[in-house]
Amino acid sequence: MSWDGIGMILAAILTIAIFSLLYRDNPFYRFAEHLLVGVSAGYYVVHYFYSSVIRKFAVPVFGQGDLWLLPGGVLGLLMLFRLGRKVQWVSRYAIAFYVAAWSGYLIPSVIKERIQAQIVGTLPPSPGSAPWIAILGSLLILVGVVSILIYFYFSVEHKGAVGKISQVGITFLMVGFGASFGYTVMGRVSLLIGRFQFLFQDLPQALGW
Amino acid sequence: MAGAPDRGLFHRLMNIDRRVIFLIIALSVALPILLPLNLPIGASREADAYYEAMEALRPGETMIFSFDYEPDTMAELDPMSLATLRHAFRKDVRVIALTNYAGGAGIAERILHEAAEEHGKEYGTDYVFLGYNPDWSATMLRMGESIRRTFPTDHYRTPTDEIPLLAEVDSYANVPLLVTVTASALAEYWVIWAGGKFDQKVIAGATAIQAVLVYPYFQTGQLSGFLGGLKGAAEYERSIDVDGAGVRGMDAQSMAHLLIVVFILIGNVAFLLHRMQGRRGG
Repeated sequence: MSWDGIGMILAAILTIAIFSLLYRDNPFYRFAEHLLVGVSAGYYVVHYFYSSVIRKFAVPVFGQGDLWLLPGGVLGLLMLFRLGRKVQWVSRYAIAFYVAAWSGYLIPSVIKERIQAQIVGTLPPSPGSAPWIAILGSLLILVGVVSILIYFYFSVEHKGAVGKISQVGITFLMVGFGASFGYTVMGRVSLLIGRFQFLFQDLPQALGW
Repeated sequence: MAGAPDRGLFHRLMNIDRRVIFLIIALSVALPILLPLNLPIGASREADAYYEAMEALRPGETMIFSFDYEPDTMAELDPMSLATLRHAFRKDVRVIALTNYAGGAGIAERILHEAAEEHGKEYGTDYVFLGYNPDWSATMLRMGESIRRTFPTDHYRTPTDEIPLLAEVDSYANVPLLVTVTASALAEYWVIWAGGKFDQKVIAGATAIQAVLVYPYFQTGQLSGFLGGLKGAAEYERSIDVDGAGVRGMDAQSMAHLLIVVFILIGNVAFLLHRMQGRRGG
């Protein structure tokens, strides 16, 4: 039997071991769970160290003489001071630099793409420029956005007209949560389908059963 | 007898052993996989837009494909990735692949090689795998300036300066389409960094859970198309006439959903009747 075949049989055994929790907690499940945690931790530590420290820092700086990366490396080293209680304040310099740099990058872009573009997206197209169903859909989005924003406006008591509009907002929120729940169910079922396709289709096919 | 537990049908339904539910769900998923029902699969507007964006690519053009997921969501996203790469290679579109997740490298290698082998594509000229680069935001931004400088070597440690495909293509300016298949918020980040800063056309494949967060970007046109969950994968597979794991999984998906709807209805009716009985008794 090939190594691929052995690997697939092992994967099938581990899948069944994990599924066994659905019946009750047992040593097979715990073994599979601990194996997953251990293997994942080892994989990610090695991968992150190689990708970040070796590939992005050590090779360019010491192999290619790209000294511009040194200040970044020093800031990265400062982060390790978090491990010592008395010296962990030193790491704040690195964090401050990171927060400042990324705020500068992120704030204008997020305002443009997540706020400005989304506000523009709530504007309905002018009549005649789009099918009536699209205009109706856009109006629905506009009503939903405004009513939900009013629901989250807490400086005015939710009575009278404001109360009624915020009720509409709650309805939109509930529809949103329902859609989100439906998609979540679909996602979880898909994972089960993936495992069953592996057990009932891929595995027998690969092993010639 | 006073204080005796209520043993009505609905009371028993309210206290059913959850392992029975697990077993029924397992059967509803397993049986359609073993005995396919071939239920119809419709096409959504967003999946059509995804297909059209891919179809608009011309032979010889290059697209970026980002495998932004790890093994935990392979079941949902692998079918999308495989179908997209099959579509690209069938149209003789060249592919620059990468991953923003450390755990995505193995998945990317397997799917890339499978699709490339099917269409006789050659590594280095028809496609390249750049591997994993830490910090996705920095990666996305820097790729707009220079792909070769962002990835000095590919996944196999070959200097990117020596790869023929990358000699011709070095930034978003040379790439008409970027595809991300993601289990997280990375579709949004590609929209912000590649789309917003460099006007890069972006389409996305997302897990079902992420789909609700991706919809607003499709509605505004910031995303030119997207696939949501296994259903999206199945729709796209049907569009390119190559049935894969997405289509094969849809019967099971439909049966499980139907069953869950029935469970929700029974649970709610049982709960209401139980409460009404309690009020009458109390």
